[in-house]
Amino acid sequence: MFIHNFKYSLKTLFRNKALIFWTFAFPIILGTFFNMAFSNIESSEKLDIINIAIIKNDDFNNNEIFKTAFEELSDKNNDDRLFETRYTTEEEAKKLLEDEEIVGYMKLVNDEPKLTFTTSGINETIFKYVSEEIAQTSNIIKNLSEEEIKKEMIAGNYNIDYESIYNNVIELTEEDDVRLNNVSNSNLGYTMIEFYTLIAMACLYGGILGAVAINQNLANMTNQGKRVSVSPTSKGKIILSSVLASYITQLVGVALLFLYTIFVLKVDYGNKLGLDIALAMAGSLAGLSLGVAVATTIKSNDNVKTGIIIAITMLGCFLSGMMGITMKYIIDKNIPIINKLNPASMITDGFYSLYYYDTLDRYIFDIGSLLIFAFVLIAISYISLRRQKYDSI
Amino acid sequence: MTVFKTFLKILNKNKFIIILYTVFLIGFGGFNMQTSDNSTNFVASKPDIMIVNYDEEKGITKDLIKYITDNSNIIELNNNEEAINDGLFYRDVNYVIYIPENYGKDFMDGKNPEIKIKSTGDYQSSFAEMLLSRYIKVANIYQKSIDNEDELISKINETLSKESEVEITSKLDTDGLAKATFYYNFASYSILACLVYVICLILSSFKDIKIQKRTIISSTNYRKLNRQLLLSNSLFSIILWGVYVALSFVLIGDVMFSNQGIIYLINSFIFTMCATTIALFIGNLVSNKNAINGIVNVIALGSSFLCGAFVPVEWLPDGVLKIAHILPSYYYISSNESLKTLEVFNLETMQPIITNMIVILGFSIIFIILTNIVSKRKQKIG
Amino acid sequence: MKNIIEVKNLTKKYKELKAVDDLSFEVHEGEILGLLGPNGSGKSTTINCLLSLLNYSNGSIKIFGKEMKPDSYDLKSKIGVVFQEVSVFDELTVYENIDYFCGLYISDKETKKKYIEDAISLVGLEDFKKFYPKKLSGGLLRRLNIACGIAHKPKLIFLDEPTVAVDPQSRNNILDGIKKLRDDGATIVYTTHYMEEVEILCDRVIILDKGKILAAGTTDELKELAKIEEKISIEVNDLETKYIDKIKELKNVDDVKYNGNILLITYKKGKNNLVEIMEYLKENRIKYNKIFSERPTLNDVFLELTGKELRD
Repeated sequence: MFIHNFKYSLKTLFRNKALIFWTFAFPIILGTFFNMAFSNIESSEKLDIINIAIIKNDDFNNNEIFKTAFEELSDKNNDDRLFETRYTTEEEAKKLLEDEEIVGYMKLVNDEPKLTFTTSGINETIFKYVSEEIAQTSNIIKNLSEEEIKKEMIAGNYNIDYESIYNNVIELTEEDDVRLNNVSNSNLGYTMIEFYTLIAMACLYGGILGAVAINQNLANMTNQGKRVSVSPTSKGKIILSSVLASYITQLVGVALLFLYTIFVLKVDYGNKLGLDIALAMAGSLAGLSLGVAVATTIKSNDNVKTGIIIAITMLGCFLSGMMGITMKYIIDKNIPIINKLNPASMITDGFYSLYYYDTLDRYIFDIGSLLIFAFVLIAISYISLRRQKYDSI
Repeated sequence: MTVFKTFLKILNKNKFIIILYTVFLIGFGGFNMQTSDNSTNFVASKPDIMIVNYDEEKGITKDLIKYITDNSNIIELNNNEEAINDGLFYRDVNYVIYIPENYGKDFMDGKNPEIKIKSTGDYQSSFAEMLLSRYIKVANIYQKSIDNEDELISKINETLSKESEVEITSKLDTDGLAKATFYYNFASYSILACLVYVICLILSSFKDIKIQKRTIISSTNYRKLNRQLLLSNSLFSIILWGVYVALSFVLIGDVMFSNQGIIYLINSFIFTMCATTIALFIGNLVSNKNAINGIVNVIALGSSFLCGAFVPVEWLPDGVLKIAHILPSYYYISSNESLKTLEVFNLETMQPIITNMIVILGFSIIFIILTNIVSKRKQKIG
Repeated sequence: MKNIIEVKNLTKKYKELKAVDDLSFEVHEGEILGLLGPNGSGKSTTINCLLSLLNYSNGSIKIFGKEMKPDSYDLKSKIGVVFQEVSVFDELTVYENIDYFCGLYISDKETKKKYIEDAISLVGLEDFKKFYPKKLSGGLLRRLNIACGIAHKPKLIFLDEPTVAVDPQSRNNILDGIKKLRDDGATIVYTTHYMEEVEILCDRVIILDKGKILAAGTTDELKELAKIEEKISIEVNDLETKYIDKIKELKNVDDVKYNGNILLITYKKGKNNLVEIMEYLKENRIKYNKIFSERPTLNDVFLELTGKELRD
C-alpha cells in the first residue's frame, strides 16, 4: 500500500504542469535572469579608467611635477593607471564635457589646479583628490627644499647645490613605503547572495508539492481525499508515503537547480559541497513542513494554498535579500530575530557562511534553526492530522 | 456594456494582485533612493570606512583618525570580526583600518609600522586606500626630517589642506532625476506585470468555451467584441497609469513639475499603451488560466531584468543589452535614462527620445496586428 | 432477511441547523435502496456519516453487524463509494485512476488487473483507457467516477447522485451497470432527486426532507400514499367556466384545473375515467387536440407529503 501510493503520488506530482513550472522551471528561469543582470555588477564596481582633459596652457607646460604625474597616471603600461587624459584647449574641453566624453577637466592657474565638472560623483572626487595630491607633493618639495637650503645656510655653506637638494627631495617623495596588509576574506562576491536566495526560494516552493500531495489524502480538503479516507488503509501510512514522494520530487527540483547554477551560471558555493547539499536538504525539509502545515491547517482549495505558500516564500526571500541584497543585512543588523525565524534567510545565510567564512559555527546554527522550524510546523500539522472524522467536509 | 460590467467584476476579484505590484513599486521606487541635498556645489564622495584603533588616541594616531574621519563616512560596527566581515560583504563598510598597538610611538621612532586593512575591492575602497596611503606617505616624508610630533602634525596638515578649486557646470537636480528615473524604470515592471496579469485573466474568462460559443453566434462580430475589450482594457490601463503617475508626484515631488517630468509622463503613457497591446496579444494566445501566472512572471521579470528596470543599465553586460533591443521596455528605459542628463530641450536633443517613442508605438501596432490575426484564426477553429 | 446497515436515531447538527434529524432505517441484503429527496434534504450528509467521514451528534450506525469507525478497515474493505462530485486525478489516465483507487483495496496484482478490466467493461470505457479525465465528456467522466468506486467488487455500494448532468445514453449505461452490480450480489444505497430513476431501479425507497424521513416503502406502497390514482390532461381551447364546474361533479374526480389551454383532471380512483371524460366532451361538442392519461409518480407523493415539488 505504501509503495502503491508512493508511486502514484510521484506520478501525479510530476504530471502537474503548474506545479512543475513553479518548483522546477521558475527558479531556473529566474536564475538565468539574475545571471544576465548581475554578472557585470561587481566588475563595474571596480575602479574604471577615468576620462579627463587637461588644458594645455603655459602654466601646465612649465609645471614639471604636474606634467610627469599625469603622464605617469595615464600611462597605458602602468598597473596603477587611473586616467585616460586628453590635452586640449579650454574650448575643446568644454565641448567634451558637454558630450559626456570626459568627467571633467583641469586648468592650472598659478600652479593651482582648477577643476570643472558637470556634477559630483566618485570619479570627480578621485580626479579632484589626485590633483590635490600632486599639488600637495609640490608643497612638500617646496617645504623640504626650503628647509634643506635653510639648514645649509645655517651651517654656513653658501655654495648651495640647488639641483642636488631638489633631486634628493624628489627622491624622498617618490619612496613608496606605505605598509598595508590586506587581511580581508577572499570570497566577497556579494551577488552570490542572489543565487543563494534563489535556492532558498526553490526549497520553500517545494512546500507546494507537499501541500498538494497531502491534500490528495484528506477527506475535508479534496474529493479524492474522501475516496482515500473510505478505503481500508491507515491514514498515517498514506500520508507518510505521500509526504516522502513530495520530498523526493522537491529534492530532484533543487538538485537540478543546483547543477544548473554550478555548471551553467558558475555560482560559487565555496568548497564544502557536502555541507551545501545537507543545507539544501534541511531547507527543503523546512519548505516541506511549511507546505504540510498550510495544507492541513487552512481549509481552502489548492490554488489558495499555493498562493499562500508563494506569498510566504516571496516575503521570506525579500527579507533575505532577493530583491536587494542589503535587505538581509539591514534585518540582520537591526531586528535579527525576524531572520532567525525566516527559513529563506536561514538557508541563504547558511550558503553565505559556507562561502564567506572558514568556521562552521554560523552554518550549524542556521541548519539547526531550519530543523527546529521544520519540527515545530510538523508537530502543528500532526495535531490537525490526527483527526479522523470531521465536523464538516 | 455587458463587456464592461463583466470586466469590472473580474477586476474586483483580482484587486489583490494589483495592490501587490503597486506596493512593490512604492516599496522600491520610494525606498531605494534616499535624497541628499541637491546643491549645485561640489560634494565629494566619501567612502564608508571603519577604524579599529588599538593605539592610544593621541598625537599622530589621533591626527590620522581625524584626517580619515574628515574625508569619509565613519561606520560604527560592533567590534567583532563577524560583524565587520558581514559589514564588508554587504558593503555597509568599504574599508576597515586596524591601527596597531603603539602605532604612534613606533611611527615617531621611524619604524614605519604595518597597518592591517580589510577591503571590498570596489572603487570606494580604492579611494579609501588612496586616503590612507596619502596620509602615511606625507607623514613618512616629513618624519624623516622632523622629530617633534606637534611640528610634524602641523606640517602634515598644512600640506594636506591644499585643496583644488572646483566648478560645477550642471544646474540639474541630479538626485531628483535619478530618483524619478529609478521610479519610472521600476514602474515598467509593475505596469507590464499588472496589465498582462489582469488582461489575460479577463480575456480567458471571456474565452470560456460557453461564452465563446455565444459570442461567435451572437450578432456582435469578433472585431466589434475585440474593440469593446480593447476599449475597457485601455480604460483600465489609463487608470493604472494615472495612479502610478499620481504616486510619482507624491514620492518624487519637484522634478515631476519640470520639463523632464512632462516627458516622464508621456513616455510612461506610451509604454502603458504598448504594454496593453502586449497583454491583449498574450491573452488571446493563452487560454489556460493556470498558465497565466507563470507567463506573467517570465515576461515581466524577464524584460525588466534584461532592460535594466531593476539593475542600472550601465551595469548590464553588452550582450544582454543587445538582446534587450527586441523588447519595448528597452526603449522606454533608455528614454528615462537619457532624461537624467538632458538639460536643453530642443528638437535635436530630444531626437533620441522621440525615436524611442516611435519604436514603442511601432511595437504596439505590431502587437495589435498579431492579436487580430490570432483571434481570427481561433474564431475559425471555434 | 439480513440487515446490512442498521441506523438508529442518527442526528447531525451544523451549529443550530439539523442536517439529519433522528433518522432510523435498515438496508437489507441484496436490495437497491433509494434515498430520495430534494437538494439539501440530508442525503449526502447521511452517507458521509455512515462512512464515518463526519462526526455526528447522536445515534448509532452498524454496518455488517458491527459498529462503523474510522479505522474499521475490515468493514471499509467491503464498501465501495461513488461520490456526488467527480473524485478523480486530472494527472492520471482512466486506467491509472482506477488502478490507484482499486490498489488501495486490492494488493494482489493479478486480481487487481482483472478487477480493473471488469470495472472498465461494466461502465463501457474500453476505448478510453489511455485518456486523461480532462478529455472525457461529462457522461464518460461520471462513468469513470463510478468505476473508481466499485472496481474492488464491494459487497455494499453507496452511490450518491451518480447521474447528475449526464446525457441519456450514459445514464442508461450507468443504470444498467447498477442493476448488474445488484444482480452480482451487491447491496446498494442509491441517492438521487430523479424519481424516474428510483421508480425504474429501486426495490425500496426512503423519502427525505429537511433531514427527516417522510415515508418509506416500495414504490407501489409509496404511491398509495398519494390520494390520487390517475391524472388526465386535455389540450382544449377556450373552455367555458360552466363546463369546468360540471366536470368537477363527474364520478371519481378529485380536482380540476384549467391553465392556459390545458385542462388537468385528477381522480381518486382509476377506472374507466378516460372513456367517461371523452364521452362527456363529445356530448358537449367540446373540441380537443390531445389527451393523456398518467399514473401518479413519486413526485405526486412528495407533493402530497410536503406541499412542494421534488425538483426545485
